[in-house]
Amino acid sequence: MRYISMMFLYFDPGLGAMLVQAIVAAAAGILLFSKNVMYQVKSFFGLTKTKDDSYDSIDLEDDDTQKHDSTKN
Amino acid sequence: MTAQKTKHQASFRDPSGYMFYDGNVLKRAINPIYFPQYEALTESGFFQTLFDRGLLIAHTETARSAERIEITPQVIPFISHPYEWSFDQLKHAALLTLQLQKHALTKGFILKDASAYNITFHQGRPVFIDTLSFDFYEENTPWRAYKQFVMHFLSPLVLAHYHGGEMLKLSQNQIDGIPVALTASLLPFKSRWSSTLYTNIHLLAKLEAKHNDEYRESGRVITLSKKAQLNMIEALFEYIKDLKMHQETEWGDYYDKTNYTAESFNFKKQQLSEWVQRTKAKTLVDLGGNDGTFARCILPEMDLAIVADIDPNAVAQNYRQVRSNNEKNMLPLRLDVLQPSPGIGLNNQERGAMIDRLSDFGPDITLALALIHHVTLSGNVPFVSSAAFFARFSKYLVIEFPKRNDSWVHSLLVRKREFINHFDHYHQEAFENDFSTLFTIEDQIEIPQSARILYLMKRKNN
Repeated sequence: MRYISMMFLYFDPGLGAMLVQAIVAAAAGILLFSKNVMYQVKSFFGLTKTKDDSYDSIDLEDDDTQKHDSTKN
Repeated sequence: MTAQKTKHQASFRDPSGYMFYDGNVLKRAINPIYFPQYEALTESGFFQTLFDRGLLIAHTETARSAERIEITPQVIPFISHPYEWSFDQLKHAALLTLQLQKHALTKGFILKDASAYNITFHQGRPVFIDTLSFDFYEENTPWRAYKQFVMHFLSPLVLAHYHGGEMLKLSQNQIDGIPVALTASLLPFKSRWSSTLYTNIHLLAKLEAKHNDEYRESGRVITLSKKAQLNMIEALFEYIKDLKMHQETEWGDYYDKTNYTAESFNFKKQQLSEWVQRTKAKTLVDLGGNDGTFARCILPEMDLAIVADIDPNAVAQNYRQVRSNNEKNMLPLRLDVLQPSPGIGLNNQERGAMIDRLSDFGPDITLALALIHHVTLSGNVPFVSSAAFFARFSKYLVIEFPKRNDSWVHSLLVRKREFINHFDHYHQEAFENDFSTLFTIEDQIEIPQSARILYLMKRKNN
């Protein structure tokens, strides 16, 4: 069953802001890719240093929700 | 019992539901329009996962009918607003928003809005409080809350990155976030060389201006793959995570350059802890609390200590300590005693004034250490007015009075130049007399090796 989202109802997302996301995402893709390549190269030469910050990663740690989902099916 | 039900002043924007007070209990009503989302989020375990990780405020369902579902969220003793946070707090809240959006996307949901007011600080970390902000993801649709994210989070953060902590206060004038065109105009030219800032701010501002007048959607379908959206969110996360505020202030290393000796410093700490025990205080507000050094020595006894300071660096420093020590009962906030954040939004009630929220919170004890000379001599506030201000919050007040021969007081007085004689009222006797109109002096003690006196006062007419 599929429900229609109600997001349109209460604020204007901005047409420009919707259009720009394709470009933002493309630039982000290139940036992430090149960062990854740099990381690989650096770690090959043993140049990576572990950063001292305690912010969580964007992914929820110990993500057992995957398990949760697969057992449910 | 029929408790009085009143709608929360800030709860009118989203048709999904609203917050209301059932007597003293804050609850959330969900309208039928949001039932499908609510059921799906509950049944899939989505809510539970976020509760378990402390990312979303936990709730229990307390009533259900065909017309509405009622949930009661866990109580948060003090709600702070984005313009009262340090750079690091706003940054942490931004990262939480992106984390939630990514997690939602992988589970077939989305954050339908990305307002900074959806987040507050609770138990030492940001927590998402707008439970009804999640909606279904529709394949290949862009993130509708993207612009809101930029206005509420990215804009103030990059402005503070380039221009310092005062920029964070800009949000106080812009309840819907800082307009992208304004941010773009305030950023230095070199910001265009950052691919993240070029696309997310400058290009966005340009496209916004170009399409501003196109009201008709004209059936135009704008698509964005999920993978592309994930890239966008991840790159924003990486960018914001490394972002720093650049600014030095005179207070940042305050405790390193005061004229306190180690002995008087320790004496002050010990006396404070004795009085806190005597008054059995469990909650406190420390006005001008710097990086929380003094509040921290009585922190184990506290349920919640709100430490407010004018200096963004001190607040940031305090928050870093909260995180590294994993303190759940300390809340660092920005507050200028001489201009506390006002009520903003509709009727000036949508986001309440800070001193009203502090009064409602009603901490057991108020600390005003090394503050009165700044309020009196820099702010020219008469003692009777500052006494009335301090009396707003708690029954007990611990206040430090530096005498005229204190070096700080001396330097503040010297700055008055030819008006120095207008400040003859700044002395111990006048201070005691004026404060005695509203307080009883319970105890007072001279801090050794200093020209300062520490008072414990109790409010009259409680």
